[in-house]
Amino acid sequence: MTPGLHHYLIVSALLFSLGLLGVVARRNLFVIFMGLELMLNAANLALVAFSRYHNNLNGQVMVFFIITVAAAEVAVGLALLVALYRKRQTAHVEDLTSLKL
Amino acid sequence: MNYSLITLEILAVLLGLTVLLADLWVSPSSRKALGLGLVAALGCLLAFAVGSLAPQSGSAFSGLFVVDDLARYFKGFFIFAALAVVVMAVDFAPKFGAGLSEFFALTVFALVGMLFAASANDLVLLFVSLELITVTFFVLNSFQRTRLASLEAGVKYLILGGVSSAFMVFGIALIFGTANSTNFSVLFAKQKELSQSALFLMGLLLVLVGLGFKMAAVPFQMWAPDVYQGSPAPATAFLAVGSKAAGFVLLIRLLVGTVPQITTEWHRLFVVMSGATILFGSLCAIPQRNLKRLMGYSSIANAGYLLLGIVAGSAAGSTAILYYLGGYAFTVLAAFTVISAIANHVESDDISALSGLGQRSPFLAAVLTMAIVSLAGIPPMAGFFGKVLLLKSVLDVAAGHPELYALIAVAVVGVVISLYYYFGVIRAIYWGGQSSNLSTIPVSLATRVVLVACVAGILVLGIFPQGLLKIADQAVAGLSHSSTPAAHKAAH
Repeated sequence: MTPGLHHYLIVSALLFSLGLLGVVARRNLFVIFMGLELMLNAANLALVAFSRYHNNLNGQVMVFFIITVAAAEVAVGLALLVALYRKRQTAHVEDLTSLKL
Repeated sequence: MNYSLITLEILAVLLGLTVLLADLWVSPSSRKALGLGLVAALGCLLAFAVGSLAPQSGSAFSGLFVVDDLARYFKGFFIFAALAVVVMAVDFAPKFGAGLSEFFALTVFALVGMLFAASANDLVLLFVSLELITVTFFVLNSFQRTRLASLEAGVKYLILGGVSSAFMVFGIALIFGTANSTNFSVLFAKQKELSQSALFLMGLLLVLVGLGFKMAAVPFQMWAPDVYQGSPAPATAFLAVGSKAAGFVLLIRLLVGTVPQITTEWHRLFVVMSGATILFGSLCAIPQRNLKRLMGYSSIANAGYLLLGIVAGSAAGSTAILYYLGGYAFTVLAAFTVISAIANHVESDDISALSGLGQRSPFLAAVLTMAIVSLAGIPPMAGFFGKVLLLKSVLDVAAGHPELYALIAVAVVGVVISLYYYFGVIRAIYWGGQSSNLSTIPVSLATRVVLVACVAGILVLGIFPQGLLKIADQAVAGLSHSSTPAAHKAAH
């Protein structure tokens, strides 16, 4: 049996859910960040699968945009987390409580 | 391909790069002068954007990018907002410490993202321009690196912004998969068959998550109060005006311009979203003591009012959104300029820090009062007429839909609640008891000019709304795809 579009989409949906689970359930900011990347890559997989299925290369071009944007996001995000760690000596979401009513 | 259409964007990118480069040769003491130079350059850009030399209507890059009246309206809007924010940042300089020029440059790059968002006619450009805005705001929000609150605001915006853009990207993948195109004009042509596809509707819903985050609409509003409170005041102001308006221009293009049929079918969803946003923002604002946090909740409530125009789904609704955003920009920029000036001097942005402002700086007190009164929706300010237009647009289509009458009732209740917490601010300004410090708060000439312009804007829009209404009407008229045939051909 050759894998069809559905198989790729199911894998993509699973990856997306796993990433979301990582963001929602984990408490470490770096692991949350990894979850975010997983979610973006799930979308990439879906785009490539659709692109191949429709024989339309636009989807794969979109993937390049997403990869580029994700790289920019990681660069800024990690710098921000390092700055926070220097200030607060923590990378846990429970410790981000200085802003409240 | 007509490159002259993106003249404005190219000029803005060059401006940002020039600021970054000029920083290498400018001595630290004259960075403020660099900022004022940038203000002058943005002023020229604004004159170019709204003048007769602005790019003509048309589309470029295979229909990816369009210039029409709607795009032109929002481009002028965004450039004005950026100009006011840079003026604010010049005064805020002592708080930033190092890196003032980078703040200017990032503001301009965020502006570029907004300019592209105003012209986006394709999900690819929608995604890239929104991300350009979001990623620059990660930095702008956490710009005071030595202040924990600012870093925390940045991290919260980073995580929630990341999640919402991941949802949006997945939605775009689903839309691409079902429609085999990401171009708005193609989606418009295919919307009848696409509205039958569950996968497409799912994708559209996920894209709305991303836009909802930008607008701070319930249930994607969680970040707003914290980020508004923690970020430096100029960044908060740009977030409240520019970023929110970018969400709305894309929402109008996508929902009203591209899939009007599905928007009509989904109108219950928007009714609930709008009502919940108004109630959440208004109710949670009541106990707030921090002025910036209060503005965060007020910004959520305002997103709810703006959504009324989407609920109406008519041309009148879109016109009302454009008009309301115009008034809202003047109001919020005026309020944040005052907040930033006070925070600069008093080291606090609590409402109690406003006490005695009426005697200390009658000018700042008067401007903040005007802005608050306009936000509360009291005539003859711009906020009043905007709310009337939004409510009227819903009322026009309400016949036979009891849920729309309920929504109007909710909106009116929201206005009444907001009178209470906005009045709390005015009371602190004039009747907040004696402040021990009665020295005047210094205000630079540029800030004074911006404040006067904003106040004039609030009053003129409120008393003579016809001018802006005509422009907004014209901007929306182009939306019902009079411009699509050209873009459509280009897409094939």
